[in-house]
Amino acid sequence: MATDLRISNISKIYPGCIANDNVSLQFKSGKIYALLGENGAGKSTLVKILSGVISPDNGEVFLNEKNLKLSSPLDAKKNKIGMVFQHFNLFETLSVFENLSIDATEDNKSLRLRINEILKKYNFSIDLDVPVLNLSAGQKQKVEIIRCLLRSPKVLIMDEPTSVLTEQETEELFISLKKFCDEGILIIYITHKLKEVLSLCDEVAVMRKGKVVSVSETQNERVETLANKMVGQKLAKIKKKINISKNKDEIFKVKHLNFYSDDPFETNLVNLNFSVKKGECLGIAGISGNGQNELFQILSGEIITPDTSIIFRNKEIAKLNPKQRREYLMAFSPEDRISQAAVPELKIYENVALNNFKSSNFFEKGLVNEKKIKEHSKKILSDFSVNTDNVELKSQFLSGGNLQKLILGRELITAPELLICYNPTWGLDVGAINYIHETLIKINDQEKSTILISTDTEELLKLSDRIAVIYKGKLSKIMPSEEVTPEKLGVLMGGGSID
Amino acid sequence: MALYFFTPFIAIILTILGGGMIFYILGFNPIEALKFYFITPISNLYGFSELLLKATPLCLIAIGLSFCFKSNNWNIGAEGQLTFGAIVGGGVALLFYNQEGFYILPLVIIAGAIGGMIFALIPAILKTYFNTNEILVSLMLVYVSKLLLDYLVVGPWSNPEGFNFPETRQFSDSSRMPLLFEGLRIHAGIFLALAAVMLSWFVLYKTYLGFQIKVSGLSLKTAKYAGFKGKTMILVVFMISGACAGLAGVGEITGPIGQLHRMISPDYGFTAIIVAFLGRLNPFGIIFASLVVALTYLGAETAQIFLQIPKYTGQVFQGMILFFLLASDYLLFFKVKILNLKKNEPRH
Repeated sequence: MATDLRISNISKIYPGCIANDNVSLQFKSGKIYALLGENGAGKSTLVKILSGVISPDNGEVFLNEKNLKLSSPLDAKKNKIGMVFQHFNLFETLSVFENLSIDATEDNKSLRLRINEILKKYNFSIDLDVPVLNLSAGQKQKVEIIRCLLRSPKVLIMDEPTSVLTEQETEELFISLKKFCDEGILIIYITHKLKEVLSLCDEVAVMRKGKVVSVSETQNERVETLANKMVGQKLAKIKKKINISKNKDEIFKVKHLNFYSDDPFETNLVNLNFSVKKGECLGIAGISGNGQNELFQILSGEIITPDTSIIFRNKEIAKLNPKQRREYLMAFSPEDRISQAAVPELKIYENVALNNFKSSNFFEKGLVNEKKIKEHSKKILSDFSVNTDNVELKSQFLSGGNLQKLILGRELITAPELLICYNPTWGLDVGAINYIHETLIKINDQEKSTILISTDTEELLKLSDRIAVIYKGKLSKIMPSEEVTPEKLGVLMGGGSID
Repeated sequence: MALYFFTPFIAIILTILGGGMIFYILGFNPIEALKFYFITPISNLYGFSELLLKATPLCLIAIGLSFCFKSNNWNIGAEGQLTFGAIVGGGVALLFYNQEGFYILPLVIIAGAIGGMIFALIPAILKTYFNTNEILVSLMLVYVSKLLLDYLVVGPWSNPEGFNFPETRQFSDSSRMPLLFEGLRIHAGIFLALAAVMLSWFVLYKTYLGFQIKVSGLSLKTAKYAGFKGKTMILVVFMISGACAGLAGVGEITGPIGQLHRMISPDYGFTAIIVAFLGRLNPFGIIFASLVVALTYLGAETAQIFLQIPKYTGQVFQGMILFFLLASDYLLFFKVKILNLKKNEPRH
């Protein structure tokens, strides 16, 4: 039976922000729909309304002309709306089967039978009895999808599904989604990756600032047209000049970096050796969970490993903590903006004080010099175009992009010789990404170096002078970025070899 | 967020209502009983002095604990640190039992603070260097210190002229806290508590140490990333906390008690945990909370006299305060919803 999902005049207003402004959309089964938009455009709010997590202030949802009352996720499930979130809701230490049986009503035997049917039908290869933590991100996603399929959904909503997948896994996902679509499941695909929209979806709805700004057939669109609709202005193209750094000095040199952990959620690092030249950007690619976290923490000094040698500006710094490393003019921008790089409950100026280097005089004789910190914070806010000048504002009220600008500003205002950043544009919208990319390029132009650990291959190819891939805690050989193609990176990131 | 500072009041009101219900069930007129509990004890000057007397150690300990709790260190062994502080301070007082001198009391006080500090360092060092759980270690050390006190007062330190009662000699007058008013038991220890309040406010809100404590409490990951010396900080907050508890202990034995015996504290160290949370770990909030909780001690004693119910009802009230505080905090951040799971239709 054909499915018809209609959203009519949905509005949701949060204090100080209209998340959904009179949104009306219509979806019909047999097609894959893309919902495209920057962060903060209102996609997630709309999806949360569809999945019953939040209720709209206004408006209605109709499924086959039946008015749905979605006041809890349970209601969405009852009405056969399935949802795969970007972050998996799985118990890592339980087996696949145990995870799937948690909210099942049937007995284990018939459940297993039905799961096996699904596995066979869609050609999924997953061992039902291994703990989820042993699965790859793509496999975990499949478990989530199976969970939805078990409820024979009419609507399947996928929220940024490819952000954790390899190229190959993405392809497999697309094949499955097309199959589901052929079987009459209505698929809504939420993303901000333009190319995926073009290669997968039939129709695309673009959202901006809470409103639907366009609905169109994807065959009439190109990457540029979609990007402009999404951002609402013509984007300047950034391209980095290739750095002629062949004969420059090595400013940072890592030798014998090994890390061993008993924690099954951590990745061991095996004998990493690399160096960074003055004015160069070294990119480290890889799917998340291959040791980037551990590598970042070792480079920043949060984890001290024995027998590792890290030479920075001719000094051995392997035993120094992050604060001491900052004194030697290193700076760090971690992936986790909200609970590591900054504390949301702290005010902006207090978060600025976290990077307390000696010459800043933020704390004189152990006392807080509030005036100095605030002055300094004001300068960061204006120099790095954060959209507020109120240093007393709690950081939780900054959007992701503005928070990242604040963090980068805090790290860069000390004029560091080396900036190490990990997924600096993760989850940000195109405008903020552009700003941050420009900033990172500017650093290299000023003869300062960067190490860019990122899971975004496009970003790496755009910004890096040389690129290496980290896979299961091992680093590939370092390649000049002119010789690297996305396909090559994809193979290496998936554990293949290119020789 | 304004509600966050308001919930302690809700908790207190609910505690009074809950207490009234318990009295009603026990067959008392709840209004009368509550009057005996909360009004009678402080209806005269002597009662008011008793209130301050009981609030003093509670306030001191809670101030110290707030340093630990704010930075995510769960020191629940303040009772042990109080006891050990009292042992060390009392030991010094006993050394001077037959001497007079203005220098004796300060020595006793300092010795008490150092005693508490050293005792608090044990869980802190074990936590930083051996990864032990400070909750268990600090709690178990309470019993160690209590048994040590027991041994000392029946054994080596017992009063030679004391007919084998489990207590030491009386301290000399030079080891006693000066009384503030003739005929009342309130003593100079209250100034120590007030000084601790002011000092802790200054340290927590105006110094680098306070900033580090705040950040560590909100996010340990951030503290690590900022390069704070995590281990040093754990040691420092435990030392502050222990010193405060030690001071409270020494204040009791040099104040109202005047010697060492088995029962130097009616679990002030544990009750102060409730005080710290009721006061929202804020120095001035803690003053208020210590007065409220001190009243439950006094009320329990009055109720024992006038209503013939055991004074342990005081602990019932303290328990209720904590329970209602946690409950209102929980309801502040979460919504309760009753799901009808039976209505769930079969899936296929």
